[in-house]
Amino acid sequence: MTPTPEELYAQREQRFNDIVALKKPDKIPLMPLMMHYFPNKIAGVSNAAVEADHFLRTKLMKEATLKFGFEWAAAVGVPPAKSCEALQLKQMRWPGGDLPDDAPFQWVEDEYIRADEVDQFLADPNGFAMRTILPRVAGIFQPLSFIQFPPMYWLANAYSTILLAPFLSAPGMKEMFEGMAAFCEDAQNFMAAEGGYFGEMAAMGYPRPFVGVGFPAFDLVSDYFRSLRGSTLDMFRQPDKLLAMIDAMVPPSINLIIGACKATNTTRAFIPMHRGAGGFMSDEQFEKFYWPSFSALIYACIENGITPMPLFEGDYTPRLKYLATLPPGKVAAHMDKIDRKKFKEMCGDVMCFWGNVPPSLLATGTPQQVKDDVKELIDLFGDTGTLIIDSTVGIPDESRPENILALKEAVDEYGVL
Amino acid sequence: MSNELADAILAMDEDGALKIVKDRLDAGEAPEAVLDDARSAMTTLGDRFACEEVFIPELIMGGEIMKGIAAELKPRLTADDAAEKRGTVVVGTVHGDIHDIGKDVVVMMLEVSGYDVHDLGIDVPVETFVAAVKEKSPAVVALSGLLTLAFDSMKDTVEGIAAAGLRDQVKIMIGGSPVDQQVCAYSGADGWGRDATAALAFAAEWTTGGAA
Repeated sequence: MTPTPEELYAQREQRFNDIVALKKPDKIPLMPLMMHYFPNKIAGVSNAAVEADHFLRTKLMKEATLKFGFEWAAAVGVPPAKSCEALQLKQMRWPGGDLPDDAPFQWVEDEYIRADEVDQFLADPNGFAMRTILPRVAGIFQPLSFIQFPPMYWLANAYSTILLAPFLSAPGMKEMFEGMAAFCEDAQNFMAAEGGYFGEMAAMGYPRPFVGVGFPAFDLVSDYFRSLRGSTLDMFRQPDKLLAMIDAMVPPSINLIIGACKATNTTRAFIPMHRGAGGFMSDEQFEKFYWPSFSALIYACIENGITPMPLFEGDYTPRLKYLATLPPGKVAAHMDKIDRKKFKEMCGDVMCFWGNVPPSLLATGTPQQVKDDVKELIDLFGDTGTLIIDSTVGIPDESRPENILALKEAVDEYGVL
Repeated sequence: MSNELADAILAMDEDGALKIVKDRLDAGEAPEAVLDDARSAMTTLGDRFACEEVFIPELIMGGEIMKGIAAELKPRLTADDAAEKRGTVVVGTVHGDIHDIGKDVVVMMLEVSGYDVHDLGIDVPVETFVAAVKEKSPAVVALSGLLTLAFDSMKDTVEGIAAAGLRDQVKIMIGGSPVDQQVCAYSGADGWGRDATAALAFAAEWTTGGAA
């Protein structure tokens, strides 16, 4: 008998949750973490076109999910370009902006907090962000860099409308608020499209992967504020200041996840990770600068009933000895590059294995190569069944459609336990 | 005396290393000798990176220390000193991809290892690579990429160099996080790697400069 959408939804949720809890499922699922531009590329639609139309993007995501037999509704992995445009973001480049229509969005890393500004940031994070960081990352906030605003509590003063007039009428302020209004409008459209997509998919039996998103504190500092070069030099030139920045960013990241999960009554949180991978630092540096704040985030999720879904980007094989100390059956570990056998040996009884099918195979290989790779994974993890099939960071944009179909064929052929 | 400088660099003692350089120059020592010692320390650093004894932070910090030393020495070096290179390498992030972190580490390590490096930057069109190969006659071309779209861009670039009749004159390496043997075969490159160690090993093998 064909299961109802409600039954399918419940089965898929149960399957994912069982695998995370290290209980053997009935079958190995195909659950891509996210999609960027694959759905529009295979439909012959440009990246710029879906950046301009959120509803078109989510329609194509739905079509791809159904066509390729995914078992949940992959997350939208693309920042909305119109929002970026409204803010005149300099920290991001996007198709339809100054990148070609078929390019993916790309991050522009820089030292948005300079080495000699760390103390100023720590003394007044919000004030420093308003006066210095925002004008650097987004053009519309340029006026904030030179207007000497009074304290924000002035807004509570009944006379503030008069007293604030000189500041709010300064050059560029009107354009700033107009830009923010445009940003709000696009953000509302984005949320409506995303909400509609996940709602429709849920009604058809496809769960949503996550709502909460949080960042390990070191990555926040290194990726977004100090850059790889800056944070690296901080390790040697001003380690105490680097640690102070990391410590300052742990509670907001935890609150971000818990707040999002509580507001939506969901229990999964995505945690993208970058700079803790092998090669990026020694074990000693990892223990000092990365692991304490990362593990604090993981434990905070678990203590609040949230399943952390860390995406271990890069090769975390050298860090398996740390991952092995995390509580068993609580973490949905999504892997990029990793020594599969070592993972099984060191972490197989601690966390499930998710991802790791190479993008190179999906983009340039054959269906048979893809099936062989999935079979290898199932042969390795099939005894416990604690395996979820996906590529390294969701479905790669340049994947050949026949290779994505091969993922599904492989789980159907080899993944029934 | 020379060990002191190498020890300071390898210990990431930036202030100590610069003080030793100044002291040696003040004592009348030839800047070439000081530069040689600093370079040998960077070669050791590269070896330790290859053995996974040190990692990217030490490469970046070592590069910074080396920059400081080079700035101190540059006014006193003759043009001939700067001309002694182990081979020419053209480097760039392939078209469509604007990422530069990995490329920059490779460029830095090649430079401190004594190669004549021409960094074409990011999002480099095929014709720019071809023009650089014609103009600079490198032994090695290094193509970098972080995105999966780089697979096709790398293939385009290798084919572009071949179409210009230059393929036999250069060895081509590809590098970046998603790159592997599959991509190497697909692109037609001669070798692949995920970090600066592999780039240094290929550069040493493919130039007359000997081991890195």
